[in-house]
Amino acid sequence: MAEKLIFYILAVITLWASVMVITRKNPVHSVLFLVLAFVTSAGLWVLLEAEFLGIVLILVYVGAVMVLFLFVVMMLDIDLATIRAGFVQNLPLAGLIAAIMAVEILLIVGPGNFGLDAFPKPEPLGAEVSNTRELGLLLYSVYIYPVEIAAVILLLAIVAAIRLTLRRRPDTKFIDPAQQVRVRKGPDRVRLVKMAAEDVAPVVDKGDAQ
Amino acid sequence: MLDNYLPILIFILVGILVGVGPLVLGYLLGPRRPDSEKDSPYECGFAAFESARLKFDVRYYLVAILFIIFDLEIAFLFPWAVALGELGLFAFWAMVVFLGILVVGFIYEWKKGALEWE
Amino acid sequence: MIELWNALPVLIQILLKITAIILPLLGLVAYYTYAERKVIGYMQVRIGPNRVGWRGLLQPIADAVKLLMKEIVIPTKADKTLFLLAPMIAIAPALAVWAVFPFDEGLVLADINAGLLYVLALSSLGVYGIIIAGWASNSKYALLGAMRSAAQMVAYEIAMGFALVGVLVAAGSLNLGDIVAAQEGNLLTWFWLPLLPLFGVYLISGVAETNRAPFDVAEGESEIVAGFHVEYSGMAFAVFFLAEYANMVLISALTALLFLGGWLSPLPAAWTEGSWLLSDGFHWLLAKTFFFMFLFLWLRATFPRYRYDQIMRLGWKVFIPITIVWILVVALAVVYRLPPWWSA
Repeated sequence: MAEKLIFYILAVITLWASVMVITRKNPVHSVLFLVLAFVTSAGLWVLLEAEFLGIVLILVYVGAVMVLFLFVVMMLDIDLATIRAGFVQNLPLAGLIAAIMAVEILLIVGPGNFGLDAFPKPEPLGAEVSNTRELGLLLYSVYIYPVEIAAVILLLAIVAAIRLTLRRRPDTKFIDPAQQVRVRKGPDRVRLVKMAAEDVAPVVDKGDAQ
Repeated sequence: MLDNYLPILIFILVGILVGVGPLVLGYLLGPRRPDSEKDSPYECGFAAFESARLKFDVRYYLVAILFIIFDLEIAFLFPWAVALGELGLFAFWAMVVFLGILVVGFIYEWKKGALEWE
Repeated sequence: MIELWNALPVLIQILLKITAIILPLLGLVAYYTYAERKVIGYMQVRIGPNRVGWRGLLQPIADAVKLLMKEIVIPTKADKTLFLLAPMIAIAPALAVWAVFPFDEGLVLADINAGLLYVLALSSLGVYGIIIAGWASNSKYALLGAMRSAAQMVAYEIAMGFALVGVLVAAGSLNLGDIVAAQEGNLLTWFWLPLLPLFGVYLISGVAETNRAPFDVAEGESEIVAGFHVEYSGMAFAVFFLAEYANMVLISALTALLFLGGWLSPLPAAWTEGSWLLSDGFHWLLAKTFFFMFLFLWLRATFPRYRYDQIMRLGWKVFIPITIVWILVVALAVVYRLPPWWSA
């Protein structure tokens, strides 16, 4: 009973937050509503006794991916007027595509394939069953190839991220403080050299003579 | 199992309340005397110029992306660490390969100077 | 007494337990600020606060009352909702982590199997309070501080996560109670010894994660005045302050739990029989936690602020390689059952 109540509360918040994500004008607010949707989805997963997945959803999506989203959204100069320029013009086409996609989604995840008949509610697990251990036992024995392939994909992501975003800026007036600190007294500093005054011929002021 | 998560849910709600409570109290007990000088953003006594929402170096995005990748790695390491005792040497070598592939990426990062901060 | 307790509805029971955790915690946090001023005072040959109450003991209460009576200034052009939301986002995870924290054998509110994962996930949320505060304030200093601290917390969270994986490998369980149980024995069977590099990495990352000196570039009062909370005043500021100190207590307690055997006594059980003080118990956990809390203050009084490029280098180029290597070393030791820690 309490479980059902919590489910409905979380589900309603998830749906509300998702709607807010696409209707807010301020992109930062949208991202924060997306964070809320992720948090409540994690709650729904925990209700299905998938504690590892639920908490990893928080750790990876909320704790990492959304932080990147926030960085991007906060720092980009988004001109809302230009984005909204063709809104009415494109509405019919966009609406059509959205409708087609909605039908597609319904066909795939609709009650025919999913729903409680195809996937009955799992038996409640005992308190001693550790989700994470079970997952580890499977991942690192049966599914070892997919895991290693995942490593390769992550490697690809590292390389791609660096190729795309790392660039030396020629105009930056950057001084490495570590090098500054390491300057030694003798050879690296500007030296003052003592030298004899040069012999300059005395200036004869002709004005005085007059 | 779910019985154990109920206190957590309540604890999170109480945690939020502990944040809300002082704010409400402060709002009720504190004075409210808005003043255009007081409410202007602090800039060492100067009048604020330009928008405060500056653009940032693309390096921050790079750090965030690399963070996501390493965070995913940690997510992979958790089940491995818990199951290692039962799986033994096979799982150990599986992780050596997994980390080996990612260390290649780490060395690439290092050599390319993505970890330098300037 | 017990019958009366069992007769209460579960919800009330849970709420009472939560109160029993949060109230002492908030008291500890309040007096931690007092201890900070006193300890740093004595380290700098001053006496610190000594006017309010005997030896200044009522100082935290006076501070709280003063902050309560102050105006919460909301800057013009600030995003008002987010500005007020940020302190709540900062404190809620800092408190909610305590739900899975075991205080003694079996004395835990929510005994979940994924305990350590939950701790890591919730501490990764701490960055939101700072970013949102920095952005919502509409102030340059706030935004600069927020960006700095976000990039810093992100780098050290990786090091911290890897160090925690090392603990997991050693303990073979995510449950915090089981992790302590795995260290059973004496001073030498605790995890600090086999995981010594990870212990250091975790502790230093903990200091960096909480944005404390010498990693306090996010606040950097001499350059960006107070960083992300420059525009906050009154109770809104106090909540940020509370969250920061609650996080310090948390990191101290977790270090004691994960590496120093939590509530276990440093002496072998055979020597301590009959003695309440010497055998395992909550007081040991408290003593170890206080030690690390003191360390936080000591670090602040001793070290000058780190330069930002040094901070990033330490996080990415020193800690991450160390932890990756040591995880594999520990894994090998676990697979081959290296005594005395993992002897069958």
